[in-house]
Amino acid sequence: MAGEKAEKPDTKEEIPEAKKADAGGKVKKVKQVKKGKPQCSQNPVLVRGIGRYSRSATKYSAAKSKVEKKKKVKVLATVTKPAGGDKNSGTWVVTLHKMPRYYPTEDVPQKLLSHGKKPFSKHVRKLHASITPGTILIILIGCHRGKRVIFLKQLSSGLLLVTGPLSLNQVPLRRTHQKFVIATSTKTAISGVKIPEHLTDAYFKKKVRKPGHQEGEIFDTERNTRLQSSGRLIRKLWTHKFCKESKLFLQKKPKTNKQKKSCSSTPGLPPLCVRSYKRNLSSQSSVLNFLQRT
Amino acid sequence: MSERLWSKATFAGYRWGLWNQREHTALLKVEGIYAQDETEFYLGKRCTYVYKAKNNTVTTDGKPNKTRVIWGKITGVHGNSGMVHAKFQSNLLAKAIGHRIRVMLYLSRI
Repeated sequence: MAGEKAEKPDTKEEIPEAKKADAGGKVKKVKQVKKGKPQCSQNPVLVRGIGRYSRSATKYSAAKSKVEKKKKVKVLATVTKPAGGDKNSGTWVVTLHKMPRYYPTEDVPQKLLSHGKKPFSKHVRKLHASITPGTILIILIGCHRGKRVIFLKQLSSGLLLVTGPLSLNQVPLRRTHQKFVIATSTKTAISGVKIPEHLTDAYFKKKVRKPGHQEGEIFDTERNTRLQSSGRLIRKLWTHKFCKESKLFLQKKPKTNKQKKSCSSTPGLPPLCVRSYKRNLSSQSSVLNFLQRT
Repeated sequence: MSERLWSKATFAGYRWGLWNQREHTALLKVEGIYAQDETEFYLGKRCTYVYKAKNNTVTTDGKPNKTRVIWGKITGVHGNSGMVHAKFQSNLLAKAIGHRIRVMLYLSRI
């Protein structure tokens, strides 16, 4: 319609109408300015002609800013507190966010984030499949080397909590390291025994002895509680009956399945395995039929 | 406990090529292992050369005595017949060739 060039007076009327129509269309496209606050553009200009956000992004950021405005909570900058004293005016104003007292002269460069490096406390603790609560272990190092002990549980540091028990081996409640221990295939039933919760790494950690007059007292009380708790645990673990049988068992030198296997395949295995003692079946069963105590 | 908690081994010599020997690595023959498959148990185990000297030295358990130790560990297999090589904290003395080396049971992987 607009394309037709007619100089007729009829068409002249039409043309301005058409123009009007077009103008009206254009007017329709432009947003009508609301009466009230003039809206500032949500699309900051980077360079003349180029906005920060694309067309689809402007819609998103506009919506987001609306939401943010709603959510903005007034953060208190100061707090008034009552002040004592006669000559002071009843209250004083405390600024909550104080300016820093010190600004470094140079900006310290940010350390790059390291990946996968954890502190010791968060390391993954592994335990050999052969070591389960109640397994009898052979200690290889330390003053108790060569003794067979019962594994109780793995502590949070990864060390193994182990006991002789004291009445049999003179091995107290102690921590050992997995790598300095051989796990035999012999297991005792310990599932019924509750291991007291205070037996943690902190409990076993060596205390630094301070030189001084108070040393004697502190040391004695700690020692007493230690002995008491370990005594309690040992009493829980062993009945008189079991003691007898386990004594037989723990003082014997059993040839375990693993050592048997390894013996046949690797004849060069160390002396413990070479000495073969037949495992006494009756004592084994008695060990396994250990009475459970709650 | 009167058991021996270590395996017997002999210091056979240093690692050597045809014309040179490398004293940083020692070759050990562990008693009882005579094939390569059998050496797997011993890899990574600590070994010690124990010897005596004139002056007393400090010990962890007990009074100072004349015994001295060089610590090392078994690093790998040597050949097909169960020889093993080990590295010590300081190179072994040549006079130890043919003498006893103790192979401990730790670090245990059982």
